[in-house]
Amino acid sequence: MADKQFKKKISEALDNDVLRGALGRFGDAYTISRAKAYEGYDFKSISDNIAEVKSYAASHLEEMIDQFEQSATARGAKVFRASTGEDAKQYILDLAQRRDVKKIVKSKSMVSEEILLNKTLISAGISVQETDLGEWIVQLAGQHPSHMVLPAIHLTKEEVAHIFSGHLHKLNQPVIAELVKTAREELRKSFLEADMGISGANMAIAETGTLIMLTNEGNGRLTSTLPPVHVFLVGIEKLVPKFEDATHILQALPKSATGQQITSYVSMVTGPTPAYYSDGTVKDKEFHIILMDNGRRKMYHDEKFKKTFQCIRCASCLNVCPAFQLVGGHVYGHIYTGGIGTILTNFLNSEKDAQNPQNLCLQCGKCSEVCPGKLDIPQMILEIRNRMGEKEGLPFTQKFALDVVSNRRLFHSLLRVASIAQKPFTKGQPVIRHLPMFLSGLTEKKSLPAVAKVPFRDVFKTIKQDVKNPKGKIALYAGCLIDFVYPKIGEGVIVALNEKGYEVVFPEGQSCCGAPATYMGDRNNARKCAIMNIEALEAEKVDYVVSACPTCTHALKVSFKELLQDDPGLAARAEELSGKSKDFSKLLSDLGGLTPGGDGVPLKVTYHDSCHLKRSMGVYAEPRKILTDTSGVQLIEMKESDRCCGFAGSYSIKFPELSGPILERKLNNIEETGADAVVVDCPGCLMQISGGLDKRNPGIRVIHTAELLLEKRKKLKNKTK
Amino acid sequence: MRIDHLTELYERFKAKLEGVSGECYRVGTASEAGELICNVMLEKGIKNVALLKAPIFDKGNITYQIQSAGIKVYTDHFREVTPTADAGITKVNYAIAESGTLVQADADANVNQRLCSTLVPIHIALVSTSALITTLKETMAKLHQLPQIPGFVGFITGPSRTSDIERVLTIGVHGPKQLVVVFVDEQVEDVI
Repeated sequence: MADKQFKKKISEALDNDVLRGALGRFGDAYTISRAKAYEGYDFKSISDNIAEVKSYAASHLEEMIDQFEQSATARGAKVFRASTGEDAKQYILDLAQRRDVKKIVKSKSMVSEEILLNKTLISAGISVQETDLGEWIVQLAGQHPSHMVLPAIHLTKEEVAHIFSGHLHKLNQPVIAELVKTAREELRKSFLEADMGISGANMAIAETGTLIMLTNEGNGRLTSTLPPVHVFLVGIEKLVPKFEDATHILQALPKSATGQQITSYVSMVTGPTPAYYSDGTVKDKEFHIILMDNGRRKMYHDEKFKKTFQCIRCASCLNVCPAFQLVGGHVYGHIYTGGIGTILTNFLNSEKDAQNPQNLCLQCGKCSEVCPGKLDIPQMILEIRNRMGEKEGLPFTQKFALDVVSNRRLFHSLLRVASIAQKPFTKGQPVIRHLPMFLSGLTEKKSLPAVAKVPFRDVFKTIKQDVKNPKGKIALYAGCLIDFVYPKIGEGVIVALNEKGYEVVFPEGQSCCGAPATYMGDRNNARKCAIMNIEALEAEKVDYVVSACPTCTHALKVSFKELLQDDPGLAARAEELSGKSKDFSKLLSDLGGLTPGGDGVPLKVTYHDSCHLKRSMGVYAEPRKILTDTSGVQLIEMKESDRCCGFAGSYSIKFPELSGPILERKLNNIEETGADAVVVDCPGCLMQISGGLDKRNPGIRVIHTAELLLEKRKKLKNKTK
Repeated sequence: MRIDHLTELYERFKAKLEGVSGECYRVGTASEAGELICNVMLEKGIKNVALLKAPIFDKGNITYQIQSAGIKVYTDHFREVTPTADAGITKVNYAIAESGTLVQADADANVNQRLCSTLVPIHIALVSTSALITTLKETMAKLHQLPQIPGFVGFITGPSRTSDIERVLTIGVHGPKQLVVVFVDEQVEDVI
C-alpha cells in the first residue's frame, strides 16, 4: 500500500501546473506524431522482429556476451564485465586516474545515472559534464532525469533560464533558442577540452562488437570523436545477435520514442578510431567497453521477467500511461520511471524501492499496446504486487475485506445488510453522493452507486424464459456488480440470449471472481474465489458461460487457469471454463447477433471501450455493431474511446486523487460528442463514469449494452409476442 | 530505367530531408557541383570553409572554384580550424532514400570527416547520385558486406536538433545548424 510520504509526492506533482501542462501537451502530441512516424510501416511485424532477436539474445545471454567480447577485442577494444555498479565505477575511476584525466564529457547514459557514476568521479576531483541538453539542465539543477528520453520535461524555459543564470554567472532570458545557443557555446568548450568521453549505447552487436547510439543533438558524435579516451558503459540488455538485427530497433526506436522517422544522428562505433591527441598527433584512441550486470541477470533468469530484455528503452509506455501523464517521473523515486521503470527499480535498485510506485499502475494495458518489444508490463507489475503480497502480507483492512469477499455466505449476507444500512446516505437516490468523514475522499469527484434492494440472484428467479426447443444452455456469471448493484444488466443479457434461442441458468454457488484479490496482490484469496466459481459454474454442463463484466470474463478466461496451474484436476476444469466463457457482446455476435431492430426513438450514444474488453480480449467492433444494428441509435465516437476511465477496481479507492483527473478527461471526451448516453460493457466503468456524470452532468446517461438492448427492443419483443 | 529509378530515389530523399529542415540539390557534373556550392556559400555569407579532400573535388576543380569566389579554404589542421570555421564540406559514402539519411562509412574512420561535418555550423555534403540506397534495411546489409564494418559509421538526417526544453523543436545544438546535400550524377572513382 502506498505510504504517506509517497502520497505527499503525488499531491505535490499534481499541484505542479507546469509539470502537468508539459506532460499533458507532450502526451497529446506524442500519440499523433507516433502514428505519423509509423505511417506506411507495419508496427506488428517490426515488433515481432524485435521480440524475436531480443528474446534470442536473452536466452543465449552468456554466448552473446562472449561473442561480443571476442569481436570487440579483435577490433582493439578493451572489454570489462562489471557485475555490479561498484565494479563499473571503480574501473572507470582507475582508468581516469591512470590516464590523469581532469575533464570528462558524457553523452546520454541512463546506466551511469543508475549507478550514480558522476558522484564517484566528482568526489575524486574530476570534472564531469553531461552533454545531452536535458541531462545537462538536470545536472545543473542537481536533479535526476524525470523521463528516459526527455530528462528535463518537468522544467519550463523560465526555470531553465534561472538555472543557467545561476550556474553560468550571466543572465539568461527565457527564450528557448537563446538557451540552446548558450548550451552549444558552453558545452563546446567542454567537448574540446575533455580528455575522456563516456557514452551509453542503444545497442551492442554481438556478431561485430559494434555499439550503436541514437542522438539528435550531435553530442554522441562529438563524444566519440574528440576525447582520446572513450568509455562505453552498457547494460547487458543492449545485446543484439547480428549486425542486421539492429535494423528492427533502428526502425522502431525513434518512431516510438519521439515520433521521428529516425534521429538526426545514428553513430555506430566498432573498436577504437583515430583521434587527435593533445600534442596534435592523430592515432587510435584508447577504447573501453564496460558490459554491466548490476541485477540484470537475476531479472532475465526469472521466467516471469525475462521479457524485460526485449525493452529497447523507447519510453513509449510512459508516454501513453494515464498515471505517468499526471504525476511525471520524479514520483517514481528512482532513475527509471513509469511502468517499465517500476520493474527495473524492483530488480536494479531494490524491491522496497518498487513498493510504492507499483501501486500507480492502473492495469489498463495501454502500454503493452504500443510496446515495440512486446512486453506485458501490467502483468509483470501484477507479479511484483503478488510477490510483495505474499512476502509482506497485505494491511489488515485490505486483508479483512478480501477474506470476506472470498467467503461467499459472509460476503453476500453483508451486501444484503448494506442495502438496508446505506439508506441514511442515499437519501432515497440510487447513488451515494457523500460519505461521512474518513471516506469522503471516495465521493469527492464522483458518487458511488447504492446497493440494489433486490440482488440479481433473487431477481433471476422471477424472470420467465419461454424458449421453445432451446438450442442450448448458457450459464450466466453475474459478478458482484451485476448481482448486487446493477441487476438490470443481467436481465438484459437473459432477454437477448433467449431471443437467440438459448436458455440461461444462474448457478447459485457463484461469487466474486477474485479480481479485487488478484489486483491487490492476494493470490491466496484469488485462488479461493477461482475454485469456488469453477465448482459452482460447472462449465461441463453448459454450452457457454456468459459474463457481462469484462473484468470477470478475464478472470474466467485467463486468471483461473493461471491460479490453478499447479493442480491438474482443477486446471482441467479451469481450461474447460476458459474455453466456454465469453463476454456478452462477443457471445451475442458469435451467435450471429440479433435481428436489426429497435424502438426507432432517436438516441445519440457514444461508446467507451473497457480496458479488459478491448485490450485483453480484442473485442471492440462487436459492441459497436450491436449498437448500430439497434434502430434509433446513432453512434458518435468519442476521442480516446479506449483510454482508461480511471476506475481500475480498488485504484479509485487507493488513489482518488489520480482516478479523479483521469475520469475528468474521460468525461470531457464524452461531453464533447454531444451524446445523450454513454454505452459501456463493463459495470466497473459504468460505476466510475456514472459517478462522475452524476456530479457534473446528470443529463447524460450511462448504460450497459445489455441494458440498452433491453430498453430499445422492449416494444419489438412485445410486438412479436 | 536506372536513371528513372535514381530520380525517383532522389525525389524521395529530397522530400524526406526537406521534412527535417535540410536543403537538397542535384547536379550533373563535379564542376557544376563546385558552382552550386559557391553560390550556396555566398548566399549564406560563408567566408571560410574546411574542405576534406576527395577525388571529386579535384575532378570538378572545386577547391579552386571556391577560392576564386573569395572564400578561404582550409584543407588541413582540421582540429584547429573546424571549431571556428563557417562551414565544412565533405564527400559522404551513401544516401538512404527512405529516410533522407546520409551515411559516412569511410573504411579508415577518418576523424577529419567527422570534425568537418560536426563542429561546423553548416555542413555541405557531396554524394554520388548512384550511391542512393532505397531502404535502411538494404543499407545495413550493404555495410555488413564491406570487408569489415568501418570503425565509425555515421548516419546523418538533417541538422542537429533538440526538443529538450518544453518539447519545443530547436535546430542546431552540438552539431550543424544547417545541412546542405548535393547529389552529383557524374561518376568519380573514390580511392578507398
